[in-house]
Amino acid sequence: MAAITSVIPRPTSYEGLWGWMTTVDHKRIAVLYGVTAFIFLLIAGLEAGVIRMQLASADSTLVSPGRFNQMFTMHATTMVFMVIMPLSVSFFNFVIPLAIGARDVAFPRLNALSYWIFLFGGILLHMSFVVDQVPDAGWFSYANLTEKPFSVDRGLDFWSISLLVLGTSSVAGGLNFIVTIINMRAPGMSMMRMPVFVWMTLITSILLVLAFPVITVGLIELTMDRNFGTHFFIPAQGGDPILWQHLFWVFGHPEVYILILPAMGIVSEILPTFSRKPLFGYPFVIFSGIVIAIMGWAVWSHHMFTVGLGPVANSVFTITTMLIAVPTGVKIFNWIGTLWRGALEFTTPMMFALGFVALFIIGGLSGVSHAVSPSDFQQQDTYYIVAHIHYVLFGGSMFGIFAGTYYWFPKITGKMLNETLGKINFWLLFIGMNLTFFPMHFLGLNGMPRRIYTYTAEFGWEYLNQIASFGYLVLLIGILVFMYNVWQSRNSRHVGHDPWDAPGIEWSIASPPPPYNFAEIPQVLGRDHYWIVKENAEAAGTPITGPEPTVDPKSIHMPSPSYWPLFTAVGVALIGGGLLSHFALSFVGGAIAFVGVIGWSNEPAAAPNDHH
Amino acid sequence: MSPEISENSHTLRSNDDYSTVKMASLERLAESVVDELNKAQGESQMGLLPFRRTGNVSEQSVSNTTKSIGRRSSLKNRSVIFGLLAALFLFAVGCSKDGMSPFDPMGPVAAKQLDLFNVLMWVMVIVFVLVEGVLLYAIIRYRKRPGQAKPPQTHGNTSLEITLTIIPTILVLGLAIWSVFTLFDLQDPPEGSPEALHVNVTGHQWWFEFEYPDAGNGKKIITANELRIPVDRPITLSLESDDVIHSFWVPKLAGKLDMIPTHTNEMWFQADSDKINDDLPVTLYGQCAELCGLSHALMKFQVTVMDQADFDSWAAAYGPPPTISARAKAGQAVFAANCTLCHTIDGPDDPVLSASRLTGFLTGGDITPVPAPNLTDLRTRHTLAAGLVDLSETNLLSWLHDPSEIKANNYMSQRAVMYKTETGTSNLTNEEIDALIGYLLDLQ
Repeated sequence: MAAITSVIPRPTSYEGLWGWMTTVDHKRIAVLYGVTAFIFLLIAGLEAGVIRMQLASADSTLVSPGRFNQMFTMHATTMVFMVIMPLSVSFFNFVIPLAIGARDVAFPRLNALSYWIFLFGGILLHMSFVVDQVPDAGWFSYANLTEKPFSVDRGLDFWSISLLVLGTSSVAGGLNFIVTIINMRAPGMSMMRMPVFVWMTLITSILLVLAFPVITVGLIELTMDRNFGTHFFIPAQGGDPILWQHLFWVFGHPEVYILILPAMGIVSEILPTFSRKPLFGYPFVIFSGIVIAIMGWAVWSHHMFTVGLGPVANSVFTITTMLIAVPTGVKIFNWIGTLWRGALEFTTPMMFALGFVALFIIGGLSGVSHAVSPSDFQQQDTYYIVAHIHYVLFGGSMFGIFAGTYYWFPKITGKMLNETLGKINFWLLFIGMNLTFFPMHFLGLNGMPRRIYTYTAEFGWEYLNQIASFGYLVLLIGILVFMYNVWQSRNSRHVGHDPWDAPGIEWSIASPPPPYNFAEIPQVLGRDHYWIVKENAEAAGTPITGPEPTVDPKSIHMPSPSYWPLFTAVGVALIGGGLLSHFALSFVGGAIAFVGVIGWSNEPAAAPNDHH
Repeated sequence: MSPEISENSHTLRSNDDYSTVKMASLERLAESVVDELNKAQGESQMGLLPFRRTGNVSEQSVSNTTKSIGRRSSLKNRSVIFGLLAALFLFAVGCSKDGMSPFDPMGPVAAKQLDLFNVLMWVMVIVFVLVEGVLLYAIIRYRKRPGQAKPPQTHGNTSLEITLTIIPTILVLGLAIWSVFTLFDLQDPPEGSPEALHVNVTGHQWWFEFEYPDAGNGKKIITANELRIPVDRPITLSLESDDVIHSFWVPKLAGKLDMIPTHTNEMWFQADSDKINDDLPVTLYGQCAELCGLSHALMKFQVTVMDQADFDSWAAAYGPPPTISARAKAGQAVFAANCTLCHTIDGPDDPVLSASRLTGFLTGGDITPVPAPNLTDLRTRHTLAAGLVDLSETNLLSWLHDPSEIKANNYMSQRAVMYKTETGTSNLTNEEIDALIGYLLDLQ
């Protein structure tokens, strides 16, 4: 077999659809991740719309209870695993090699494999709509509601198997970025000179690699329970549904930091740029990130305060959860310290970054309130929690992602997004977000449970629900403005390589960057490398006016495109698809993946006609 | 708090006393914030906030005169107070005392939990106003001015970082310690309480079962969806589930605790007569708080707080319908023929029968018995279908005719033989249903 596969030459085309399908260029993979995740964002947004329209009035009968359960399950699962995580990975992909002065990630083909598995995993989950057997037990899918006879259709199988597939993508991606960041930094870039976004990527990647195996164990056990007669979580047969909760939240809480740390990194890049001064307290921001990542493993049971683990366990998790607020607070102080005495320019990325800080403070404060377990007994599983997670994940993660999109868009495309539209976009999302989610604090405090498809008017919940549903429409318009902004940018003029006068190394090269990124690997001078370079040039009387000159791409050896990541990913997806339809298909998928791995390892280092 | 809300809360005490307390504590808070800010202002002159001392010349020269410091400080204080007032107003408008709201606790457990939340709320409001205020100040004050030179390139300040790490650490540890004490404090009824009444609560898809092993004089009672409790006496509860995980929650008595198959969770609460302003009996609301399937939103229950004497007479009267009238006698026969596979009406359920019903439910199938509410005291209840509708002849009629009209997903319409018709409506005649209603409600 090795002989057969090794004679297949590497693809050579960088153009067209085939070029995208075989690409191993981190910048193109970033775009693939971004576009795919944005489409999933639209799907999840529509699901949220169904939820909000149903809850806009008391005793509403717009959708059936079953459909409603499907909507909130798919909304959250999609947003967590198929929107925020891959959008973060999209930024990892585009920014990390550029920000550390490298030409690509450590394992370019593995990077492509991660993307294709993510895409197929997402499609696999959404196939559940095609057969109308949609997961409906919540994104946390607490056992034993997920077990037969309480969940008889294939919905939960779609959920668990798709997440298993997506998990392989995340772990592969996490490993790739750990190796890239540790090994491929340009000379001069010591760990304590790395941009904060690179640090947060490193921490997030480590969390990914450590957290996903835990959920994988749970998902495999759930799949076995549902399909092969085991009873890990079936109490009637000696299993324990609480085991699932521990497995889920030991993964789930680090996952929360996987979702927020990248956005914190993005904001830590943008605030200094537009304050025109370096990040305040760089080592404190870094170490607070590390402390969060470590302590994030010791707080999971605050999701389980009402499970009845007893006052000792609840006390321990009360204290640890309280303490994790401290490093988070340190970050906020340092962001404000960065603004202090700066010269703030209110560009769209800056406004999103400031919006992030303002909204994350609210999410952080309500987060502290969950830690007070006796009080949390009243708020657990109410809309108060829904308000909190949306302040953290929408006001936090999504605002960070929008900030990053507006910030790096000129580097990705060479063109600027319209600033006026950007500000309209910002204000619509900022106002819409507060209209939608702020009333939910009060709904929850007034006793409205989560995940109820209907409510009666007698408890006074209707008015606030109407405000929240109206806010959704404002958010929707905000997203449409963003889409129009991206669409209209194709006509805008090309901007220079460094439109923001930014400190990062990535701004020293052309926009969009050439395939090889850096013609010459830079010698890093300090934390804010490009500011130092520009200042030195200014002092020497030769100010920098253009990007690093480009060279003939053939003179720099870059990895050639490859068929194998896509081929192998098809195999992995078929293994999952077979578990959901015919087991025979899984064996076909396994065979394809096996051939893929053999072909992969025997592939020539470059296309024969590629110049070295 | 709007007038409509207080009118709605007919079973609950008035809102006025709560608002008064809030306003008084607001004034105290405003004073202390002013003090704190004055202190902070003084400290910043001493160099605790070092970035104030260096840098931008034009701004610095203005703030160096004592007069303008005083003016700015009072302006700042006023805006902080305004911010606090605005946050409080929002809170007062947003928080209601309706049936499911924990802001009107009726017993010691909920009251202590609310005490913690109230302090927590103040901490959150103060931190929110201060941090967002500083953020907003920085945004306005340090915006780039035309022709402004590059700002001073500061990199941080270690002593400030350490200060700003220690202060929140103390704050959160204080809250944590108080939480831990409250946790242990609320674990059991306090010493010297009256003898507790014990209730075993079992969650079912989608209704609650209450079993009193000894409701008085050794009498065992099993009922559903309406928990009756005597006032001023601790109620200890053992929570379980016999299908999926549910959560037991009566916001005005205590926070929630999950009901988990094969795990028994213990909790307690008490309704205090001095916390209830209305005449007894008072009805409080509860609802399942853990997603438990299709009708999770419809899994509600009520808690009726009664005088001990009323409770005793209810317990004494607990027993099968007397069946004096001819209508009730006819209904008894209909019940025996159609309902007894799942429902018990002559006292507490037989444990062996309950176990076989559970087995029937878990194995599934088209026509198998399932656990169902005990109907012995149905005639004394107020609601039907797990707190969903009032118990009236009309509602009971439409429920018996087609339960899925009232509660879309329920096991009665799915499993009972009488609903195995083409339309899914009952195969009983109108007369039979009428007789059945007469029997269940002990009517003439």
